[in-house]
Order: sequence, then structure tokens, then C-alpha cells
Amino acid sequence: MGEALLRTNGLKTHFFTAEGIVKAVDGVNLRINKGEALGLVGESGCGKSTLALSILRLIREPGKIVEGEIWFEGEDLLRKSDEEMRNVRGAKISMVFQNPISSMNPVFTVGSQIAEAINLHQDVQKHEISERVVEILDKVGIPDPSERMKDYPHEYSGGMTQRAMIAMALSCNPRLLIADEPTTNLDVTIQAQILELMKALREDFGASILLIGHDLGVISEISDRIGVMYAGKLVEYSDLAGIFEKTKHPYTQALLESIPRLGTEQERLLIIRGTVPRLINPPSGCRFHPRCDHAMKICSEQEPPLIEVGQGHEVACFLYS
Amino acid sequence: MIEPSCYERSNDFMPNRLSAKSKEETEEVFEPSKATQLYIVWRKLRRSELAVVGFGIVLAVSIVALVAPVIAPYGTGMVGRSRRPPSVEHWFGTDAAGRDMLTLVLYGARISLYVGLAAVFLNVMIGLAIGMVAGYFGGAIDEVLMRITDVILSLPELPLLIVTVTFFETRSIHVIVLVMGLIGWPFMARVVRGEFLAIREAAYVEAARSMGASSWRIIIRHILPNMFSTIIVIASMDIPWYILYEATLTFLGFGDPLSNSWGVLVQKGYLYLTSAWWMITFPGVALFFTSMGFNLFGDGLRDALDIRTRGR
Repeated sequence: MGEALLRTNGLKTHFFTAEGIVKAVDGVNLRINKGEALGLVGESGCGKSTLALSILRLIREPGKIVEGEIWFEGEDLLRKSDEEMRNVRGAKISMVFQNPISSMNPVFTVGSQIAEAINLHQDVQKHEISERVVEILDKVGIPDPSERMKDYPHEYSGGMTQRAMIAMALSCNPRLLIADEPTTNLDVTIQAQILELMKALREDFGASILLIGHDLGVISEISDRIGVMYAGKLVEYSDLAGIFEKTKHPYTQALLESIPRLGTEQERLLIIRGTVPRLINPPSGCRFHPRCDHAMKICSEQEPPLIEVGQGHEVACFLYS
Repeated sequence: MIEPSCYERSNDFMPNRLSAKSKEETEEVFEPSKATQLYIVWRKLRRSELAVVGFGIVLAVSIVALVAPVIAPYGTGMVGRSRRPPSVEHWFGTDAAGRDMLTLVLYGARISLYVGLAAVFLNVMIGLAIGMVAGYFGGAIDEVLMRITDVILSLPELPLLIVTVTFFETRSIHVIVLVMGLIGWPFMARVVRGEFLAIREAAYVEAARSMGASSWRIIIRHILPNMFSTIIVIASMDIPWYILYEATLTFLGFGDPLSNSWGVLVQKGYLYLTSAWWMITFPGVALFFTSMGFNLFGDGLRDALDIRTRGR
């Protein structure tokens, strides 16, 4: 196992709403090694994005990180002051969001926004910044970067805007890039391009990646390891082979079976019955048991701990304990 | 109607834009190219004939105000006989004191524009400050500020102006402007607060935060600039209101009788309505066209400055 870059310990982020406490992230232990790409998958509403925002401490009212630790390069991010945290955001950990087009300020040019990001964290001369912007836009594959940097975001296509967002996120050479469903709102061909780009950039910049998505097929394209989240909990965590060949958790199995595949004689795509439980009042015991085909008596009574079942392969399910 | 996207795209090949991008911009790459943005706004403004008419009037009045001493045929003192009808020497006639009406109307543009611009400027400043504070801090501060705003908004503006003006011993034109500034801000404060709360939730604000921008920086770089178009539009539509309010106040006897604003001229002309129609007519027409011009221009700006549709 490599050296850990980021480790969360029993991280709990809850939202205190009028209806009750939503336990969006409820005791997650996550580990991202240096240079590694970790994919985090799960259905909508299972707490993936909340986990990502928690790492950057961008959770806002009524949400709050109530418990846990986030260790990053030997320091607990949760103990940092607001100002220290600002020096982490963008410089050491940066994030790419789901909606590229609305993630850019409409009244400034793309170039000036990337320049601002560089300016925030680095002491660079004005003319050098311009060179840096051109360079980084070129790296993410924007054609004619010295001209296109003067364009406004609405003059870019969706795919180009996401490239520019990635450029902005990488502009200060962060150690960790969090990509929250970076391809969800793009069409399929552009999706593939963006994934290719992230793959290439990972080698180029040597940053670790936390890639969040709901599509196991897409996520596995660039991930070394996969974490499967369900209802605010991490239920399985393994390298690609472990997830695809020695699948343990029934939820992961169900996710795998719901990936459409060419050339197989599957008549119908499997649908996981039921929906993600409301996190205000999650099911007792294992949160997946009401939807699980293998549910046993113990599943509704006790919470399964995350246990190691193989080399670096952890699963939270009573079938294996 | 031409499809807006190709309409704007053809923009790329327009010589204006190319030339605007050539020299100056290579040096100052990171400033939003003002020329290009203004040009886009102008193109959109031009689509509406009424807006162009409004712009023409606003431009004409502004020029008149600037060069009044140069183009006025006489000085503002007595230059002829009292209450002479329009003639070759005095195109707009003369008033009761024997002053040239054309000269007075031309000079009046200065006062009216000053009143409109200064009152709106005060409104914007006060409204921006109060709206931003309310939006940023929220909670009790927001509640108190917005209730004060509501109270002022709920009172009819003209009586409130009259009452407030009477608190001041001198009634110079500057006092009138100050009072209008003190009373007119609530609407601006409301709008600013609303915009602030809306823009704060925008994805690009979240993205800026994720890049490590401080709250202060987010307000200055991201929230304020995105409010500008709204503020400009409201301001431009408020200007005629203050010009008219000043005239109304003066007409009712609460203005600055020494200022020679259009309102003062109308008020004096009213006394001679039956014997010297030109004394009330020409300043009245000037008031009418100026306020209409600002209104049309403001309307056009509202459509042209809408960022969500700009350039698409």
C-alpha cells in the first residue's frame, strides 16, 4: 500500500433541517494514496458530494461536520483556521464541479478567471501569469489558447468550459483534485474526451484524484481503487480487480449488474429495487437490508463493520464475517 | 428575426471587434475587454428603435448641459423686454424678468441632469451599502434593515419628500438632492439584497470558494460585478423620476426658487399661463422629452444588459 495523502476518520456531516437531522455522511473512513485515483460511486443522494465538500470544508448551513478527522499531509483539516483552510483550497486540494457552464463567472473572461486562481495562491508577475494561463489552457486541450482565453464563458461549449474548469483547478498544482461528477452534464463523446484528459493530466501533474460519480463503468475508466457508498456509509472499498472480479457487497453487485454491456445476452438491465432511503430516518442495522436479496436477521439489528476480506479489500456486510 | 446566436457570431468577423482586439488588448489581457462588451450592449440596444430614440435624447440633453454656456444665445440675466413672444431674437420668447427663455431652458438641462444623476448616485451608494450588509450578515441585522426599508417604502414618496425638505432651513438644490438621496434608497437596497442572496448561491461562487477565495474577494470579484447590470438599469430608470420630483417639489413651492431649474421655470410660467404661454411650454416640453428619453433608454438597457441573454 502506498503512502496516504488524505485520510478521513469517522467523518460525519449532518444537515440540521426543519424536518430532522439528515445524516448525509455518517462515519466514513476514506483513504486516498499519493498519486492514486480513487473513484467514489453510489446512487444519487448517498452522500458522495457532501463527502467531497466536507473535505474542503465547504459545507454550509444547515449542514455541519459534526465528528471525525480529515488528515491531509499530516495535518487535520478540521482543526485549521478559516484562513489556513483558504490556503489549502485551490492550492493543495481543488475541485471540479458538475455544471461547468454555471461554474464560471459570466462577466469575466475565462483567462482572467484562471489568472485569478493563480494569483490567489502564487506570487507571479503579471506577464508571467498570462503565459501560465496560455500554457495550462493548452495542456487541457483548448485550441488557440492565447485567443480563446479572452473569450467569455458563454462563448465556450460545455466540454470546453469543463476543460477550462479543470485547467483552473490544476493551475496551482494541487496534490488532490476532487472531481464531482465532472462528466455528468456533458454528452457521451465529450465525456470520453474529458475522461481521457483527466487520465493524461494525472500523469502529467502527479496529483491524486477523487473522482465522484454514479456510473461505475465511467468511474472505473480512470480509477485505481473504488469506494462504494451507500446512504452515507462506505460499504465496499477495493482496487478495480476486487470490485469487478471478487465483488463482495450485494449493493456493489447490484451496481455492476446495472451497467449495460455490449455483447452479453442480458435480456433486461437489472434495476435495484426500491430507492435510497431518506437519510433523516435510515433503516436500522445495515442500511441496505430492505433492498438486499441476501438480507438476514442480523442485518436489521446490527450495523456491519468495515472488515478486510482480502488484500486491501474491505467490505461492510455480514455475509463475510 | 435573426437567430441571435448567428447574429452575434457574425460579430467575430466584424472589423470593429477585430480592431478592438488588436493592439490595446494584447497588453492588458486580463481586464474584461470593455470595448467589446460595450459594443455587444450597443448592438442589442440598437435592435429597439425606441431605445435608440431614448439614447439619442439622453445624449442630446447631456451635450446641451455640457456646452450650455457656449450654445446659449444670451446670458442668464435680463436681455430684453419682459414677456415677449417667440421671435427671431428670442426663439423661445422672454420671461417676466426679460430673460431669454431659450437660454434658461438650455441652462436648465444642467440643473435637471445634476439633480437626476446626483440623487440616483446617492441612492445607489446608500442602497448598495445597506443591501449588501443585509444580504451578507443576514439574521437580525438583515431583519432590522429590511423593516426600516419596508417602512420607508410603504410611505408615499412625494409627501415624504415634502415633509423631509421642510426640516432643512435652506432649500438649495443640493439640499433637495440630499433629501431625495436619503429617501429614495429603499428600493435599491431591496434589489441589491435580493441579487446578493441569489448570486451567493451561484455555482461560480461555490467554485471560487473551492479555489480558496475569501468572502471579501468573492463579494468584490464575483457578486458585485454580476449585480452591475441590474443596478445600472434601475438607476437609469430612476433618473427621470428624480428630475420630475424636483420639478414637482419646486412647482409646489418646496424647491429652490433661485436655481432656474426647469421646475422653477414651469412654476413661474404657470403664473402667466394665459398671457405668456411660451414661459411654461418650453421648459415643460424639455422636462417631458428628457424624462421620456431616460425611460426609453432605461427600458432598452434592461433588455440589452441582461447577462443571461447577452451574446447568445
